[in-house]
Amino acid sequence: MQALLELNSISRSFGAIRALEQASFEIREGEVMGLVGENGAGKSTLVKIISGFDDGYEGEYKVDGVQVRFPTPARAERSGIAIAQQELSLIPAMSVAENIFLAGDRVPLAATKMELARRAKPYIEQVGIESVDPGLAVNRLSVGEQQLVEVARLLAREPRVLILDEPTAALGERDSARILAMVRKLADGGKSIIYVSHRLDEIFKICTRITVLRDGHSQEPRKASELDVHSLVESMLGRELQNMFPQHTPVERERPLLDVRGVWPDSTVEPFSFVVHPGEILGLAGQLGSGSGDVLAAIGGVGETREGTVELNGRNFMPRSPKEAIAAGIAYCSDDRKLDGLFLGRPVRENLTSPAIGRFSSYGLLGRVAERALALSNAEKFTVDIARMGTEAGLLSGGNQQKVALGKWLAIEPQVILVNEPTRGVDVGARAEIYRKLREFADAGGAVVFASTDIQEITGLSDRIVTFYRGMQIGEIGLEDINAASVLEQITHPFGPASDIQEAAA
Amino acid sequence: MIAAARNAATNFVDRLVRDYSGLVVCLIAVFLAVFIAGMVTAPNFLTIFNFKTIIRDAALVGIMAIGLTFVTLSGNFFLLSMKETAALSIICFATSMAAGYGFEISFLLTMVIAIAVGAAQGALIGLGGNPIIVTLGAAGLLFGLGSWWSDNLVVSFRRPHGAEWLGTGSFLGLPNITIAFILIAIAAELALRHTAFGRQVYLIGANRAAGRATGHENFAMAIKVCIIASVCSAFVAIAFSAQVSSAHVNYFSSEFGSSGDMTIMVIATVMVGGNSIMGGYGSTLRSSLGAIFISTVDNMMVLHGFNSGPRVLAVGLMIVFSIIVFALVRRGARAQE
Repeated sequence: MQALLELNSISRSFGAIRALEQASFEIREGEVMGLVGENGAGKSTLVKIISGFDDGYEGEYKVDGVQVRFPTPARAERSGIAIAQQELSLIPAMSVAENIFLAGDRVPLAATKMELARRAKPYIEQVGIESVDPGLAVNRLSVGEQQLVEVARLLAREPRVLILDEPTAALGERDSARILAMVRKLADGGKSIIYVSHRLDEIFKICTRITVLRDGHSQEPRKASELDVHSLVESMLGRELQNMFPQHTPVERERPLLDVRGVWPDSTVEPFSFVVHPGEILGLAGQLGSGSGDVLAAIGGVGETREGTVELNGRNFMPRSPKEAIAAGIAYCSDDRKLDGLFLGRPVRENLTSPAIGRFSSYGLLGRVAERALALSNAEKFTVDIARMGTEAGLLSGGNQQKVALGKWLAIEPQVILVNEPTRGVDVGARAEIYRKLREFADAGGAVVFASTDIQEITGLSDRIVTFYRGMQIGEIGLEDINAASVLEQITHPFGPASDIQEAAA
Repeated sequence: MIAAARNAATNFVDRLVRDYSGLVVCLIAVFLAVFIAGMVTAPNFLTIFNFKTIIRDAALVGIMAIGLTFVTLSGNFFLLSMKETAALSIICFATSMAAGYGFEISFLLTMVIAIAVGAAQGALIGLGGNPIIVTLGAAGLLFGLGSWWSDNLVVSFRRPHGAEWLGTGSFLGLPNITIAFILIAIAAELALRHTAFGRQVYLIGANRAAGRATGHENFAMAIKVCIIASVCSAFVAIAFSAQVSSAHVNYFSSEFGSSGDMTIMVIATVMVGGNSIMGGYGSTLRSSLGAIFISTVDNMMVLHGFNSGPRVLAVGLMIVFSIIVFALVRRGARAQE
């Protein structure tokens, strides 16, 4: 069977860094090809080459057996290759139908809204959001639905190959499931799909074959049915991953380190209370919008709260700004590193020391030597490449960015680390490292509270779990009772099957 | 042998471009080009006297541009009240001098007002006010106050007076105002690179939300940088008043540079230096060099007898040119990574 797309011996380097080396890739008609690899393995570069964003490569690129070269994304699109990127390119205030025909080249110049809606209908159906009114403004939809509209917009251009780059990275379980269902449906309809994701369970659910990239080298595509998670991870890392999650160490629960008392974030239904002990990793489980992340932001001094206090070291207070939280020894790392976790245009070194400038300056003068030492020790602890300390943080891969965003907090020698989604958009290898670092921090007597929508992460890392559902605190699960089923039940339908019916009605 | 030399040369250029100072090197290259052009076409260009004139002309705009650079680098955009702050300051200083209070008292009084003016604008911006709107409003207010105070008349004070050393004095053949420009430029650059405050300027400018999350609030920052900009404006006003022994609210709207509007000249200087308009990237050194660059080109055009129209056009072209050059060089530096 002839491949629809075929790339042979593709090499691409940026200065001294070889992003791809003799890599090959192919996809056939109606196939879902998974593209996996660690951060920095070359996935993004390969995807950029395929979709025409980068033509500085060496090697051979064929479509239908004919050699091509795409200098711009528009040229790739004309050959039937479309890409849905991580950042959505929808216009929030415009309707679904208008967004679908944004380029305007496939509809009459003076199409009425009804005409647009009629023409948009088949694409909306293809992505499985028939229930959405095409006249509705995009900003009224959930993030997952917006993602699906983005795909519908691409489908309107009738592509043969669709590239989905981490489509579920920002989505909860429910929306992710819709994306997966859509991918299956499109593949059954004859489209070829390149699916890039760090979520290996998704890869196995929907992909026919899988291509692994490692350090810029590609491996032969293999049938998903012949692989399991373990062997896939091994071929991604080039070594065996011992244990994703570090060993639990027994926690002495005599006196809590942080006592959260009735903290009521603006966005939740009720106030939350929980404690965390020295040496403990507490997981806050909940789906998107459950409020688990909001309470962390509140304790970190970022979010607005109606009432409540926290007790830390016998001091009862409520941080009104991150500055106050930092002064008290509380570090808060948000779930959006690009928004407020990193100074993308500044060097890695300055990022790593940013919360602790006072620690290496005296009389207002920066101590350059002390700063370098502090940055270096932090970088080493979080295995950030120390050769790139002077590089702009924005040029690092996603996994390394997350390590910097989290690692910078070690600089203030915090007592409590609060993390919202510690490993969003981070590859397996870096994830394992982040988990290990959090465990090391707890073992040294600190406390970690993290919120996550990832069940595997919640069940694997937590010493204890507090569950949340739609702005309400549901329950607590001790170490011996932690399993995916118990957590899922509490975060999806805590009030029994009846709540499902209510949901369906809503 | 030749290949090795070429290799070494490319490596050298690569390093220059990648390095922060590579950008300055580019600017110097452009300087040189302008100098050579000036040398060839205008016989008076390459005299020490003319050279001193260039730097002296650059000094007043340059000092204000250095002050404004702190605001821009910290992500608080521009102050549109630069020339009005100077206008109120010059009236204050000259009125006080005319009343016989002497240089020290007049200087302190002017600075106290400038600090208050800066702090008030900074507080409003820090609370979330749009810098353009806040400072546009402040501009009207300050100009109105200055105009009212002076009855829109020239305030003059008689020579000899205690401020002459600053206005017309010189040291080792260099005008004192030139020396002040050089000292302020050095102090500002050192403050940015080697103080905790300077680091906060860059961090907050690069990402205000991340700045807040790491304990650096823009409220305090906005107040500080606006005070710096205001104080620089007031200093320039004092130096100018000392030079001409008089003051009028319109001095900074008509007497300066080719475009005649001090605020526009100052903003142009910050831009020509290649500072990021969004903050977080740039330096005061760039603004200082930008001031000298604009002054050089302007000087050359004066020697060639151009009137103000083409000279304003040249400033505009320099801004466009420098934005393009700096964008390209920065992209090149990133591609090296």
